[in-house]
Amino acid sequence: MITIEKLTKYYGTNRAVNNISFTINDNEILGFLGPNGAGKSTTMNMIAGYLPMSAGKVTIYGSDISKAPVAAKKNIGYLPEIPPVYPDMRVREYLSFCAGLKRIRSAERKDEIARVMKLLKIEDVQDKLIKNLSKGYKQRVGFAQALLGNPKFLILDEPTVGLDPNQVIEVRNIIKDLKKDHSVIFSSHILSEVSAVCDRVVIINKGDIKAVDTIENLEKKLGGSLTLRIKIKGDRTKASNIIELTDGVQEIVSIDAEGNDFYAFAVKLKEGAGDDTKNNIMAELIKHGIQISEIYTEKPDLEAVFVDMINRSSKNNGLLDLLDEIEPVDEPETESDEESAADEEKEDKE
Amino acid sequence: MFSVYKKELQSFFYTPFAYVITALFIFLFTYMFNAALGDLKQPILQFTFPDIFYNVIFFFIFLIPILTMRTFADERKFGTEVLLMTSPVSVIQIILGKYLANLTVFLFMIAGSALFPIFTYLHGTLIMNQLICAYIGFFAWGAMFIAIGMLISSFTENSIIAAVIGEIIMFAFMFIDDFSRTDFIMQFPKLQSVLYAFAAQPRFAYFSQGFIRLSDLVFFASTIIICLSWNYIAIERRRWKRG
Repeated sequence: MITIEKLTKYYGTNRAVNNISFTINDNEILGFLGPNGAGKSTTMNMIAGYLPMSAGKVTIYGSDISKAPVAAKKNIGYLPEIPPVYPDMRVREYLSFCAGLKRIRSAERKDEIARVMKLLKIEDVQDKLIKNLSKGYKQRVGFAQALLGNPKFLILDEPTVGLDPNQVIEVRNIIKDLKKDHSVIFSSHILSEVSAVCDRVVIINKGDIKAVDTIENLEKKLGGSLTLRIKIKGDRTKASNIIELTDGVQEIVSIDAEGNDFYAFAVKLKEGAGDDTKNNIMAELIKHGIQISEIYTEKPDLEAVFVDMINRSSKNNGLLDLLDEIEPVDEPETESDEESAADEEKEDKE
Repeated sequence: MFSVYKKELQSFFYTPFAYVITALFIFLFTYMFNAALGDLKQPILQFTFPDIFYNVIFFFIFLIPILTMRTFADERKFGTEVLLMTSPVSVIQIILGKYLANLTVFLFMIAGSALFPIFTYLHGTLIMNQLICAYIGFFAWGAMFIAIGMLISSFTENSIIAAVIGEIIMFAFMFIDDFSRTDFIMQFPKLQSVLYAFAAQPRFAYFSQGFIRLSDLVFFASTIIICLSWNYIAIERRRWKRG
């Protein structure tokens, strides 16, 4: 397990990362999401031990990255934003060098290099100079380097930038496969990517954590209710009556005629309503002889959730505040503040 | 450390770099050797290798910064510094690996110059002890300037700037000797002796006369240690300061 505690980074007087804490569990892919300039790369550089932190602590499988860097770094595979490749080296030479850096025994080196090259499909370019490779290949060579020695913890900083759509899917699948025996932190500013690959996400903006949660929970908490899309053939009025009377339906948002007796309904469901409501509607419609050509629930737009998250006032420091907004609870913090203030007053008097 | 060393050597020897710089060095040496032969006068046909080395050093200051300019500057330029810093190797190991690789290329260059003594040996007599001392002196001298050149390379990410600044500093080291003997400096004997202590050239002159003085060895060794330590501090400092 990797724990990040109260990590802070100042660039001069400019605070790039502000007191962030989260953990990465074993066999988990954690998405690290934020707009450009949010502090993603800075954070990852600190976790990887490249940049020293201004304050805070990073522990990687029990080793503190500042106090025992060599031990901690043995468990890390890091792919920075710009793949760290030497243009004048051949791919195989480069990987062999990296294997040496990572202290892989020379007997195992050859097999290990063959393994990562196969995994990333760069065998066919192994004798080319890296400077002659395309961006996508360079990225994959950089990725191969991170996988050498099978480190338990992988830090991938925007691994799919610059790849063509096919390669993006390949790389995503590789990352998903890695989950079996690795922990991965994976940064991106592309939402669909994060939701396709990650178990949990950390949303960060301007150095502050905005949320740490699973994608589903985020959707539920911030997206509100689901929308049901139904396309039917048959009597429009009858269908809308049935739909409106089913439990869990809040309202029919729109009905579009699509010709030939086809109608498309957009139905807003009540919060918490889901598959049961959908099944009930389906059963009722069929019972009344209305043909259903299409029915599906539409998830709330994650993009909107993301935009909403990062635009929230920067006073919110984390998930707790977000939860407070959703389910108002007593705030013990203010009480303790008052107490401490009272204590201070006492002390002053004394 | 060994993998860094090996990689650096590869980057020198798998590209034309090491060969071009060695060729240039041998060219310079040939020129001086020919000049020495041209100056031969009857009745004693005698010339000294130490003198040739002494002359070559002047041109050599252009070569050392070219050798060392890329050491750290290119790592920063290509973003590969991240790779080194996030690998389980310490900064000291990285510096030593790179330093040894540069020294190896330097030895390769010196080895090229051994052609001329061999040639002389075949056609005449060679005073071995003087020659060996000259080689030791030349090596110590080069080792020191490589350490300085690497240090400068760690200050910038532009290798050309690293080379130019390196040249300037090496010039300064060359001329501090003359400078310390100007009339102006002569007025302050204490300052003069301090300046003179930093002059590398007279130290080389002792070597070339066949003297191995402990003080000279200490001078070269301590300068190397200081430069490499400073190199370590410079790299760490930039990581901490960065932004």
